[in-house]
Amino acid sequence: MYIHKIYCISPQQDPLQADIECINEPVDKKLLAVEPSYEHIPPGVLRRMGKSIRMGVGTALPLLDKINPVDGIIIGSANAGLDECVKFLIQIVDYDEGQLTPGNFVQSTGNVIAGQLGLISKNKGYNITHMHQGLAFENAVIDAIMQLNTNPAHSYLLGGVDEISPFHYNIETLNGAYKKEDISNKEIYQSNTPGCLPGEGAAMFVVSADKDAAIAKIKAIQTIHTDDVELVKQQLQLFLEKNNQDSDEIDLFISGENGDTRTLPFYEACETLLNTDTTVLRFKHLCGEYATASAIGLWYACQILQTQEIPPHLFKKNQQKKRTGIF
Amino acid sequence: MSKIFITGIGVISAIGNSVAENHEALKAGVCGIKKELDLFPSKYKGLMPFGQVPISNESLQNKLQVKEPGVTRTSMLALHAFNEAVRCSGITADDISSPETALIGANTVGGMCLTDELYHDANTSEAGSEYTHSYDCASVNLFLQKHNKMQGVINTINTACSSSANAIMYGAMLMQHGFAKRAIVGGTDSLAKFTINGFNALHILSSDLCTPFDESRKGLNLGEGAAFLVLEKEEDLNGKKVYAELTGYCNANDAYHPSSLSDEGDGPYLAMQGALKIADLTADKIDFINAHGTATENNDEVESRAMVRLFGTPPVFASTKGNIGHTLGAAGAIEAVYSILSLLNQEVYPSLHFKNAISSTGLIPVLEYKQMPVNHVMSNSFGFGGNCSSLIFSKA
Repeated sequence: MYIHKIYCISPQQDPLQADIECINEPVDKKLLAVEPSYEHIPPGVLRRMGKSIRMGVGTALPLLDKINPVDGIIIGSANAGLDECVKFLIQIVDYDEGQLTPGNFVQSTGNVIAGQLGLISKNKGYNITHMHQGLAFENAVIDAIMQLNTNPAHSYLLGGVDEISPFHYNIETLNGAYKKEDISNKEIYQSNTPGCLPGEGAAMFVVSADKDAAIAKIKAIQTIHTDDVELVKQQLQLFLEKNNQDSDEIDLFISGENGDTRTLPFYEACETLLNTDTTVLRFKHLCGEYATASAIGLWYACQILQTQEIPPHLFKKNQQKKRTGIF
Repeated sequence: MSKIFITGIGVISAIGNSVAENHEALKAGVCGIKKELDLFPSKYKGLMPFGQVPISNESLQNKLQVKEPGVTRTSMLALHAFNEAVRCSGITADDISSPETALIGANTVGGMCLTDELYHDANTSEAGSEYTHSYDCASVNLFLQKHNKMQGVINTINTACSSSANAIMYGAMLMQHGFAKRAIVGGTDSLAKFTINGFNALHILSSDLCTPFDESRKGLNLGEGAAFLVLEKEEDLNGKKVYAELTGYCNANDAYHPSSLSDEGDGPYLAMQGALKIADLTADKIDFINAHGTATENNDEVESRAMVRLFGTPPVFASTKGNIGHTLGAAGAIEAVYSILSLLNQEVYPSLHFKNAISSTGLIPVLEYKQMPVNHVMSNSFGFGGNCSSLIFSKA
């Protein structure tokens, strides 16, 4: 599967800001997305959209070409519509199940971003939403690969979107997901405390089986959901053996490390399987942590492959290694 | 491409706790929809009929030996159907926990059946309830995964009321594209104050029993339930019993309105047409259509029109929404099980509460239980966001 177009909305004005001194910091312990003016969305429609729908649609529309429309829309979003759900819930409680307005309910369905995109772009093709928390975007990628295997002449819009909604933030705070202390994203990897810094954003891609003029190729993907570090290591080892027979091939490892001491052992275990000179990058200080942050991770990978430039603050290890541009 | 077979089925609904009980009820034309609602306090209790599964949460906990806190009704209904499906297929605990076994589940309410708890947890800064990990849709499948020590590809799909049809399709595709050797796929949803009030605000809930495809239909009844299917590849069967083959599937979008279908029914038409293409069948080979047939004014008219557009004279068709109500994210999977029962037993079940045909199409669903040759069944599921899916099951 080849990636042809990319676009994102993130907490940074320039998603890959070169100078760490210029990166946006959390406000009230949250890394909030810098939203554009959404000139592609009619103002009347925009007003009625919740934030994740707005970000999703606003990221997708610049990529959708009327002359060469995509054949389907594949979205990963763990919590799309959740904020609207709770708004509708508040109506139910406040008005004691009385006469309620259905707007929040209609926007509360998890498939609302893909549905809106189908509607706005008049796309009658494949349309699906994967909602499996931290693997929502990965399942969307797997889906796109399978759709393209079946229909090699097609192209698809592929994306990952999640927002920090007030209610989801509250529930995740109760779950102990976030850092208790007030901390700058510039120091997140040195925090040595449990919890992450919540972030949000949207990243979208146009993918096809056509390698001409592609930005990048997704060669292989594998997912695993477990709390066993050894199992992760074992599966990654098998994955590398299968897909990276020439072990020198990997120049960059983009780690999802997020400053949470509870998940650090998983990322460290992965690093032990790489060549000692493989460059290791981190990006969560830019976008914060959210279920589909891997989508923006893929955006960073594409951007780096395209520009062959990496801002210094992304390096964790082996900054000096000569890079060949094969990721 | 490998052929995909169904080797196990499990279902729980308002008309039965097992495949056998559902089968008997379908044959007898039993309606499980009643003006009863015991799960939570609601203004609509006694006023509107619901397809409630007649088992309390406590009984489900005991029956399923669920001891940990924070497990929702949505998850327990799912586990109930999951257990029956794997028992039925005979796959071992080792098979289930193999990294090559995928778990693909769908639902739309997740833990939102706990409306009041969610309201509390979304707004409190003090102690949360035991359910703070259980609200989102994925929590159901994470529970099933943990309960069964599963390691393969896991996913949660939400395309509103067509969710579990897409879960079945995604599971089959994972197997055909080398991401899984077998897949356990299905869907679940439980009744919730949230959905009752949502559909009511849209004025598409009927205060009487729903009447699919009837001229004077007044809307849908909400139901609840779950169904799971075990999918295995032809080359892995080794002579084991199979229930049906999944031969066709397609997902298309109506791209017309967030909560209703277009007059032309492009989404339903494209989904049905696409499924025929994958199955490599002509329309005349479909013996029976398990229609989406929610009994809303919009759905039944558009679905009828799309069937006429594709089939000319549509084959025998029926909706089971009159038996169990609309089970939302579970509907595609429950109706997959019902479609498979038609194939297995060479019979079709009566569509309930119908009186007069919709005047613009004149289509009449099957009204009596009857035995007939059934080789290919099409099952439709359409949802908010224009999400339309059709599956085709064939006699194995």
